[in-house]
Amino acid sequence: MAGVIAQTDPTFVEVAEVWVPEEGRLVLAGGSYGALDAFAETSRGTSFGRGEGLPGKAWAEARPVVLKGFDGSYFRRTEAAKAAGLTSAVAVPVFAGSAFKAVLVVLCGDGPERIGAIEVWEERDGVLHLDDGYYGAARHFEWVSQHTQFPKGQGLVGGVWAARTPILMRDLGSGYRFVRAESAGKAGLTTGLGLPVPAPGGKTYVLTLLSALGTPIARRFEIWDARAARVGAAREAILIDGICAREGALWDDEDERRTTAWKGVVGRVLGSGVPAVETNEQAAHGYSSVVALPIHQGGELSHVVAWYC
Amino acid sequence: MPKEKLVIVGAGMASGRLLEHLFEAEPDRFEVTVFNAEPRGCYNRIMLSPVLSGEKSWSEIVTHDDAWYAAKGVTCRFGEKVVAIDRARKTVSGERGEVPYDRLVIATGSSPFIIPVPGRDLPGVVSYRDLDDTNAMIEACKPGARAVVIGGGLLGLEAAAGLRLRGMEVTVLHLSGHLMERQIDASAGYLLKQDLERRGIDVRLKASTAEILGEGRVEGVRLIDDTEIPADLVVMAVGIRPSTALAAAATLEVGRGILVDAQMRSATDPEVFALGECVEFEGAVFGLVAPLYDQAKVLAKTLLGEDDTFVLRELSTKLKVTGCDLFSAGDFAEGEGREDVVFRDPARGVYKRLVIEGDRLIGAVMYGDTADGGWFHGLIKDRADVSEMRETLIFGPAFQGGEPLDPTAAVAALQPEAEICGCNGVCKGSIVEAIGAGATDLGAVRAKTKASASCGTCTGLVEQILAVTMGGDYAAPKAQPVCGCTDITHEDLRRLIKAQELKSQPAVWQELGWRTPNGCHVCRPAVNYYLLADWPLDYTDDPQSRFVNERNHANIQKDGSYSVMPRMWGGITTPDELRAIADAADRYGVPTVKVTGGQRIDLLGVKKEDLPAIWGDLNAAGMVSGHGYTKGLRTVKTCVGTDWCRFGTQDSTGLGIRLEKMLWGSWTPHKVKLGVSGCPRNCAEATCKDVGIICVDSGFEIGVSGAAGMDVKEVERLAKVATEDEVVEWVVAFVQLYREHAKYLDRPYKWTAKVGMDWVRETLADAATRADLNHRFAISQSVYQRDPWAERTEEQQKRRYLPLADLTLEAAE
Repeated sequence: MAGVIAQTDPTFVEVAEVWVPEEGRLVLAGGSYGALDAFAETSRGTSFGRGEGLPGKAWAEARPVVLKGFDGSYFRRTEAAKAAGLTSAVAVPVFAGSAFKAVLVVLCGDGPERIGAIEVWEERDGVLHLDDGYYGAARHFEWVSQHTQFPKGQGLVGGVWAARTPILMRDLGSGYRFVRAESAGKAGLTTGLGLPVPAPGGKTYVLTLLSALGTPIARRFEIWDARAARVGAAREAILIDGICAREGALWDDEDERRTTAWKGVVGRVLGSGVPAVETNEQAAHGYSSVVALPIHQGGELSHVVAWYC
Repeated sequence: MPKEKLVIVGAGMASGRLLEHLFEAEPDRFEVTVFNAEPRGCYNRIMLSPVLSGEKSWSEIVTHDDAWYAAKGVTCRFGEKVVAIDRARKTVSGERGEVPYDRLVIATGSSPFIIPVPGRDLPGVVSYRDLDDTNAMIEACKPGARAVVIGGGLLGLEAAAGLRLRGMEVTVLHLSGHLMERQIDASAGYLLKQDLERRGIDVRLKASTAEILGEGRVEGVRLIDDTEIPADLVVMAVGIRPSTALAAAATLEVGRGILVDAQMRSATDPEVFALGECVEFEGAVFGLVAPLYDQAKVLAKTLLGEDDTFVLRELSTKLKVTGCDLFSAGDFAEGEGREDVVFRDPARGVYKRLVIEGDRLIGAVMYGDTADGGWFHGLIKDRADVSEMRETLIFGPAFQGGEPLDPTAAVAALQPEAEICGCNGVCKGSIVEAIGAGATDLGAVRAKTKASASCGTCTGLVEQILAVTMGGDYAAPKAQPVCGCTDITHEDLRRLIKAQELKSQPAVWQELGWRTPNGCHVCRPAVNYYLLADWPLDYTDDPQSRFVNERNHANIQKDGSYSVMPRMWGGITTPDELRAIADAADRYGVPTVKVTGGQRIDLLGVKKEDLPAIWGDLNAAGMVSGHGYTKGLRTVKTCVGTDWCRFGTQDSTGLGIRLEKMLWGSWTPHKVKLGVSGCPRNCAEATCKDVGIICVDSGFEIGVSGAAGMDVKEVERLAKVATEDEVVEWVVAFVQLYREHAKYLDRPYKWTAKVGMDWVRETLADAATRADLNHRFAISQSVYQRDPWAERTEEQQKRRYLPLADLTLEAAE
């Protein structure tokens, strides 16, 4: 099926890490570093104040931040990143209403073979504009994106905004008319995960992860609905959509999959309200790492999205 | 033993499920041939809408691929239509040849209903049933392209949401007054419409398609009201019909569908069975998947020689639009002996309604919170006795001691910029700010912000904002609510309708947390009036929310007959009018003709069925309804003025006629009567009218809020003006102020007593305010200044006045 990826391919995201506030500073709560041990070591020895470095900036500005190129920037681990071949990063703060919970940081390398996109869209004047994004080698698609705006309800980005729910789109470029389809198709992008990033003050941000066959962002995507309006008072979540390179479609309209708080990685995110990154044996479904990100909306944890590599 | 030859016509979901059951039970019993007109096997048709939207891929929804059929040894004749069935020879003929059968299953499904309008065959007009339709729609999706979806049912709305996600500009046309009217009620329909509009989908209700426009290709849709909507794609999703042509040609008995018994055996031939959407069973036809799967299970048993019986069961509905949470099950029509339990949370956009009959739950509709849908559906299906949990049923299975409904929820949901005090232009945010800065009671808020410091109608709202903001620290005094459906007062209701821009009855019920599905006989007339007064261009008057006299446009009398009273402008009539009235009285056997206190002639004792005819006759003589039955302008009583009277100072008759011609037809909170007297001798008794003008040498004295009914009261002076034009301007401004602010069923004297004459005078003293009020009145009159008699003498309308047992009515479909 389209969007299914062979596990031997390299991945678009090389590092994912979760930073949580502790006594007024951000400390590392978990990360997936692959073979980049030195960068992992540097990270473990680092903490950030509010406004410091990339995680601190996302916290202070209460908005997702894209950073392309570390030299001369506020990025604090530039040397270690350079040594590890990392060139770009995206930081996504997690807020529950006005309460700050954590920052998820993903870091990517460079190279002509790296195709994919991590984008941040921001509402201005009633439409969503590209705030910034990292596209690897998908330069034309980057240009198209910079010149595209989404009204409510249109496309993956406008759809997420209007529906206030994460959306997983398939076959972005293959014959179907994803709004940026033609360019996405040429870039080899196949699967798109869009999710709302609620921020204090009600400003609208939408984050998209657009995955390509050659350098997938993930091999398995899951969207869990945890709203009380859907699952009731119990702290549970229903898998509402997902695809997997191994299992195929993960949704089942006759028999819903459920999970409960503290059960597995998704359950832990459900219980704690904080993102989680797990590696190796802790990651599930035969994958070597998983990132699970909670979305807090309307005074509750509304959804968890998870992606596995 | 040779295998039985089983031929199945159709490879839809029911057919696929049947094969699964058969192969699971006895894999080697049948030699199966499956015909399918579509060039593919079984897929999950109900998931086509996520494929349309891009949220699923085609490969994900294939349930039985070629490999599956091959592994089971099924002969697939896909992409081949069956042209005939010969029951005598027991053969099925496809386009590429004949196959014999021992048992035959017809599972031809359904076909979309295409509304018979001109242009329906144009390229670009598609239905929505299968993958080919879906692909045709996807192909039509180009940036900026426009789609019109005809039909706001399940399929239509899923198509609309999918096309919108694909980037199209989408308009949904729906014939009924709310979306998905077969599955949900008006309140849920209101929330659904809001949700779709938030996605940028244009939803038009009561929209009837007249024609699909285009030359060589679809270019637009024209509605019967001549609105034209441009379109590059038109999707017809108005319903389905069982596909029965093949069965009928084989002389199988067909009603709406192929008639079958509870074992899915055709009524005509014991070796021929039917399954799925092409079937009719006990008068029912099928469109949802659950009963199809039940049928497949029963038919598998039947074919295997086992006993099973298909029974109709309660179905539930969900809409597959990401982010739309909707659930309905059972029967939720209003009816005798049925009781509603309603829960609304305006802030979260939640609506839940349960319908209870006796001790059983028989229906459930929910929007925005569907967590307990499955549980309610279970109670409906099981016909469970719910008497023990009746009080708390709506809170669902996890109920832990439910909270009472919060009457302040509507105010809490208001945005900071929502205007609370219209007089002084104070918004909610300013009041909250003042409370934060230490204004902790009404007096302090009033002193700080001026909110509720003028007419005072927003006092209740300010108190609620105090309650919401201060929590337990503030106890609001008890006020008289509109009725048992709500805790909101009339004054708050009017203010909230304006502040939240509520423009329909379902909007009021939902956003203000009404406890009943559709209001009651007390609140509906008030809400109907407030909506039409505040939003004349957006809201359509609802006759069902009116008292019987207003609905019939005539006063019902104690013997059940009606009175008919034409308007006599300013009390002036002509010999021709008098002749026409006399002729009408003769023709319709009117027993009593009375000259009224309002200077008009009343025909009393007219039979209901004669009303349209007598109106028609009076219309023909140039007369219009006198509105002797309305909460609106009744009469303008005049004296003869300077034309004839020695004492007259002005043309009081002319002014009265002018005022009456200006004001007639307008709806008001209660009836409004005017008087214009040509001199202070006051022959027109203007000083006890709602609005009374006394002409004097130097101009006109305008008095308002008089009364001469249960209460007797002299008018209070509003203003003195020099010219007739000014009189008209002031009077219209006063009437419009009364229309916009008064509680329903308060005459002007009661209203001014509440808000204070000083406030009325101050407000109207401002020329710009008067001009605005006149402008808004003119807008309202552009909609409502119509003669109800003329409208009701048309053929269609006449029927409403005929006795119920009229046998000339055409049979309903």
